[in-house]
Amino acid sequence: MRAFNAELSKLFSLPGIWLAFLIGAIAPAVIAALDSIAEKEEIIAGVSTRLSEVGYIGLVLGVQGVIILGVLAVSSEYLTESSESGGGQQITTSLTVVSSRLHFLLAKAGAVTVISILLCIVAIMTTVSATHLVLGEYAPAFEWQRLIGAICYWTFTALLALGITLLTKNGIIPLAVLMINSSVVSFSVLLYRVTKLAVYLPDRAGAEMFMFTSDTFTGSLFVRYNTPFTGGLVMLAWVVVIFIAAAIVFHRRDVAA
Amino acid sequence: MSVSSSRKITQILGAELDKLVTLPLIGLTLMGTFILNLALAAAFTSAGLQGAAGTQSILNIGLASMGYLKAGFIILGILATCSEYTGGQIRTTLTTIPWRGFQLSAKHLALVIITIPVAFIIAASGILYTFIMMRDTAEVIEIDTMIKPLLGATGYLTLTTLLSAAIGALLRRTTPALVVLLGYYFIVSPLTRVFLPSIKNYLNFFPDTAGSYMYMPPSSDELNVLTPMQGTGISMIWTLSFITVAIVFYRKRDA
Repeated sequence: MRAFNAELSKLFSLPGIWLAFLIGAIAPAVIAALDSIAEKEEIIAGVSTRLSEVGYIGLVLGVQGVIILGVLAVSSEYLTESSESGGGQQITTSLTVVSSRLHFLLAKAGAVTVISILLCIVAIMTTVSATHLVLGEYAPAFEWQRLIGAICYWTFTALLALGITLLTKNGIIPLAVLMINSSVVSFSVLLYRVTKLAVYLPDRAGAEMFMFTSDTFTGSLFVRYNTPFTGGLVMLAWVVVIFIAAAIVFHRRDVAA
Repeated sequence: MSVSSSRKITQILGAELDKLVTLPLIGLTLMGTFILNLALAAAFTSAGLQGAAGTQSILNIGLASMGYLKAGFIILGILATCSEYTGGQIRTTLTTIPWRGFQLSAKHLALVIITIPVAFIIAASGILYTFIMMRDTAEVIEIDTMIKPLLGATGYLTLTTLLSAAIGALLRRTTPALVVLLGYYFIVSPLTRVFLPSIKNYLNFFPDTAGSYMYMPPSSDELNVLTPMQGTGISMIWTLSFITVAIVFYRKRDA
């Protein structure tokens, strides 16, 4: 428990974390508001087809915030200080204090999970209010199952980012790959055009927890393949696999290596 | 000891090149980009082969991976300038080269020298792979029609790298610079195109959209497209103004 508190305090004192909070809380609302404006015109024109998706698109893209959170949580530990302040790495101090590497990892994962759940709840509140503000009487009711799906999606993504960064020890590459992959031009969409197996990639499967409920959304790309529950399970399986791999590597690897 | 100014510039440029070449992450990034580009070209080619055969040109498919490719060059640009600030390298640099404007310009020049051949090779490899795989199905195109978009793609990647380097020099920290640039290129820019079609004409004047006209094959259905030369001009103005701002800040600010 003390290790968990320490991890929380370390995370909150990172300067980059405020960027993550800002993006995580504001971006979904802005995107949802823009989408709602576009949607409102369609409703008035009577050609609306995707009312049930409004707002959720913001939550898909707002996941950037927790990606930054997950990556920074690990990469900040491995950042080498300047030679003027000793050239050390935070990880050596952390492991001196919490000598069990498994405990350290669990505390870190716990802290990231808690923060991403809270961040997602904030994001949902801003998104829902933004949608209601713009759409007014047309605003769709937000079902709580889908909102819980969104929270799971955010949490799993943060844990994936954490696990991958633990393997690479450097924040740049996971940050770039994950940010691009959660954007509009994601790799999964591209791979989907090559092989249908791409629906089992973590982001595509995870998004099914709360997206793709209507069949009318643009094109065959967004056809639902798994139920929300199996989608969540597939993504959880990815998280578990990457986490076990990261835990083994972290357990065996020399910190200085 | 007095050194003539032309010799001085050569020495600064040599030092900057040396620093860039010896950064291990830059080599890794470029190699990763190269491999990733081939994998993406393979994916796009296979998707193209599955689609209606012969309808898409080799160039379109070969250059389709450009959208992802620029991420590698954004990282390259950011690394080049931000690496000075991790640790105290910047103070050593400025002790030996106390002319800040010169130093940052030389860094950008060194970056250009490295980026142009690499960007050319990477962009060409994507097209070449597509060409080999699709020779039988798609319409064969002449070499000289291939050269122009290829040069445009090289120029686009180089300008993107320079822009990222300038932003990196302004922000001085790797992660925020990376988040800002990737967020702009991969999230904000595509989204505004989807959600705000009314300002589409103005979007053409933003660096990434303008730059993309440098390699895009001309399409007839759009009214407000720019010619490759206009695209080059606009994105060059963006890059140069960002570099200028970066140099002004660099000269004024405490290192």
